[in-house]
Amino acid sequence: MRTLLILPAAIVLLATASAEAAPRRALLDDFATQAKAADPGFTGFSASRGETLFRTRFTGGKPETPACTACHTASPLKTGETRAGKPIEPMAASVTPDRYTDPKKVAKWFRRNCKSVLGRECTALEKGDFLTFMISQ
Amino acid sequence: MPTPHPPPAPSLPVWDLPTRLYHWLQAVLVASVLAIGFLAPEWWMGIHVWLGYGVAGLIVFRLVWGVFGSEYSRFTSFIFSPRQTWDHVRGLIRGRPPHSIGHNPLGAVMVFAMIATIAGIVATGLIALGGEENQGPLAGFVGFSVGDGAKEVHSILAIALLVMIGLHIFGVFAESWLGRESLIRTMISGRKRLPPGAALLNPRPARRRAATVATACAGTAIILIGALAGTVPASGLIAMPRQAAFQEECGECHEVYHPSLLPRASWLAMMAGLENHFGEDASLSPDTDQAIADYLAKYASESWDTEAANRLRVVDGAAPAQITATPFWKRKHGEIEKSVFETKPLRGRGNCAACHQDAGSGRFDDQMIAIPEPERPSL
Repeated sequence: MRTLLILPAAIVLLATASAEAAPRRALLDDFATQAKAADPGFTGFSASRGETLFRTRFTGGKPETPACTACHTASPLKTGETRAGKPIEPMAASVTPDRYTDPKKVAKWFRRNCKSVLGRECTALEKGDFLTFMISQ
Repeated sequence: MPTPHPPPAPSLPVWDLPTRLYHWLQAVLVASVLAIGFLAPEWWMGIHVWLGYGVAGLIVFRLVWGVFGSEYSRFTSFIFSPRQTWDHVRGLIRGRPPHSIGHNPLGAVMVFAMIATIAGIVATGLIALGGEENQGPLAGFVGFSVGDGAKEVHSILAIALLVMIGLHIFGVFAESWLGRESLIRTMISGRKRLPPGAALLNPRPARRRAATVATACAGTAIILIGALAGTVPASGLIAMPRQAAFQEECGECHEVYHPSLLPRASWLAMMAGLENHFGEDASLSPDTDQAIADYLAKYASESWDTEAANRLRVVDGAAPAQITATPFWKRKHGEIEKSVFETKPLRGRGNCAACHQDAGSGRFDDQMIAIPEPERPSL
């Protein structure tokens, strides 16, 4: 009786997990290809480098947004807030499952926010590290 | 030996009950509507308007009663020649004004002046309501600039009425003192002392049935015409379709501002400089940027005749895309405590909808303002 209930639940869970995993995999593969092209010594993305990027205060960007944490809070699990006061869904993939599934959105926000915070586009390595960190959360 | 009391002077019914009720009701309504108009914050406008309709209704009744009321309520009983008025003034200067049973000539002038002024205030109020606020029976017929002009006249007439009320009250006290009879009591009891030697007139009785029919007819006609006129859509507002890209892209970071809140040139300059959008990179793909810019240009303030569109069209030269930098915005929000803007739920000046419940429609009606209490920091 219990297996009868658990089985469909597990299927649904797996299905949704894979539905989100596929586009994320594709994104990371894409960033990896670019990273390898930029640096032949590239061996893979690192969640801890991603976390460092998330927490570092930069001076090259706009003074209003010196770090990712300025809007996203210090915890990827928490709801952030735009400077205009709108809530931002938590960055962690575990809390906001539909994050990092739309390549267009990911490209848009990396382009905008890297310029706002770092004052430049992020490298493929940085993007891959950042994504790896957020997916691990 | 005690002095004998003089025989009580005969008194005469002068002010009939409808006139007395009218007088005191109108006094209360006019005092309230003036107080709200001059002193209350914007969001009391709904009450101001309804009291104004009440004042208008009473004026209609008084006009009817001026024709069909009893002797001293009839307009024809207190129309005096310039000569009679001058004689009265001369008597006043000597401190011995001739006794009047009904209105004295100066009081009569004041009655007509106040009725005309109140009627003028009601009319200009309705024009301002329709033109500036896009509300009321004239919303479909009057544009903003006419409404704005009417509002000026409305304010000037209201000040004039205040002066008249002051003079009226002064006149009542002066005549009460000179004539040794309280006119306030007269307006309560309706009876006035008969001066010695004054011959009793043959007073005309009230024509109550005619007055009732006339009031009912006039009232019904006015309400019907008003309701019918009210069905005409407001002239300042146009139909605007929703654009998904505009809603989504702008709404991701901030409130979706109504396109009528800035002029075309401001929107286009903003959309051309999204890389530095109020201190952030908000750039879009070129085709999305173009689509939103086209939409904003089409529905910019030039396309609307609302109060917000007209007022905010005048932008700050240094920050032409910042609504909160416009002179009108600053003037209207200058008295609000800083803490209201800085604490939740506002968190900044750009959150219009936190107070303006109809911000999304671009109307910004006075009655739709509700400033929330700032949240206290939790200890």
